[in-house]
Amino acid sequence: MSRRGELARQHLQPLDVALRHHRTYTWLRRSVLAASLLLTVGMPMWHLRARDAESAGQAVRTGFGGARALGLPGSAPDVVGGPGAVELFGLELVDPLPIAAVAVSAGPRWSLLWLAAPALVLVLLLGRFFCGWVCPYVPLLAVSNGLRWWLTKLGVPLLDVRLPRRSGLVVLTSVLVASALLGLQVAPLVYPPSVIGREAFRAVFYGGLGAGSLLVALAFGFDTFVSRAGFCRSVCPGGALYALLGTLSPVTVKLDRPKCTGCTVCDVVCNLGQSPMNGRIDEGCERCGKCVASCPTDALKLGLTLKGRA
Amino acid sequence: MSRRRVLLGLAAAAAVSLVPRRSRAAHRIRPPGALPPGAFEKTCIGCFRCAEVCPPKCIDFASVLSADSGTPTLDLRAKACTLCMRCTQVCPTDALRPVAAEPGAVAAQVRMGTPQLDRKRCLPWNGEGACSLCFQVCPYPDRAVELVGLNAGPLFHPEACVGCGLCEEACPSLARAIHIEPLP
Repeated sequence: MSRRGELARQHLQPLDVALRHHRTYTWLRRSVLAASLLLTVGMPMWHLRARDAESAGQAVRTGFGGARALGLPGSAPDVVGGPGAVELFGLELVDPLPIAAVAVSAGPRWSLLWLAAPALVLVLLLGRFFCGWVCPYVPLLAVSNGLRWWLTKLGVPLLDVRLPRRSGLVVLTSVLVASALLGLQVAPLVYPPSVIGREAFRAVFYGGLGAGSLLVALAFGFDTFVSRAGFCRSVCPGGALYALLGTLSPVTVKLDRPKCTGCTVCDVVCNLGQSPMNGRIDEGCERCGKCVASCPTDALKLGLTLKGRA
Repeated sequence: MSRRRVLLGLAAAAAVSLVPRRSRAAHRIRPPGALPPGAFEKTCIGCFRCAEVCPPKCIDFASVLSADSGTPTLDLRAKACTLCMRCTQVCPTDALRPVAAEPGAVAAQVRMGTPQLDRKRCLPWNGEGACSLCFQVCPYPDRAVELVGLNAGPLFHPEACVGCGLCEEACPSLARAIHIEPLP
């Protein structure tokens, strides 16, 4: 390509990237994330509206008054729960982490396996996809990353501590052991999707945030000032469990080496410290596809690998 | 390496501070159909479905930093349970066992707490006035509570009471003589 054409290409790059985002399933992922957020905040509103419609005339405890203004119908659909444990029109999608903790502390039951089965199948096929596609912490992580970018621009020194990935497994084991020893569930207290779902519900129903927000704030602070996406990468017990369960997941990012120019963009956009450019992708990959979308030469693709790992 | 140690230490300290004393977690009013104290805390995953479907919105989560903040509790004095049993139908882990919304099944399977009457504060009993609100709101009148004596004061029968707290909620504010005691 002529030098002129190359320059033109450089100028066009933002547009080019935007189009590429269109082409890949980035928008699909964003839709799923949006649906997850809608579930987190919108469903409590809808249920609140349904309760208020039912108890019209009775004294109603304080709550979010906007549900009525939003014009939601008076009866909620058959959807209950947050993104961590939702029943979608009869289909149970319940996080395997709390189910595993219940099995450890209250003893295993077959009914628990059936309960977790639909989500388990997804995790076995897609590994940590929950982290990039569904977790309600993802928008906060995006804000945290943006904040990191701005603070770095402003010259604020930021740490980027890389905890060993194993530390997630240590947290996971601690959560399970603590649940068994203390005789209560620890995961709902420290696991962000569970905490965020409950906090959002309480904020909508009762109009206030609880101590759980403190944990989310701590995770946010950790990710922003100490380690980029460090909580997701090496602290979150759920992420560690999904990585473990998804070790044999057939869906992986594949590198077409001849097309790669070594520009490192894919390595830089990855939140979870993977290195698609070098073909070094392990079970920690959340299948978010940001590397695929950002590759200027289309050298990366999400595909099926029967061996398990590429 | 030392920084990592410090961070891990901080994380451990945060985790320890979240860990509560068990005694505090055990004495709480739980939604109807709940497993016995102890088993309930082991089985509830804090998904808030029960609270989401509750018509009187009486199920809440503690907002303070404690082991309870992940499990549903009821403040019956503020808002009592109307025994619709919807929460028991949506629990994914059966920490709340399903109970049919039918008076016989509810009476047989639901024990949320034990009623306690302070006769010194109860208006008919201390002679300060006539009142039968608890009797009037009780879903099991003449079984869980009956009116006895010259002033028609309430007499509770804990063995027939489901602990819904409608009486505690209705008890006039100048008396506040009724309290539903959580299960031991």
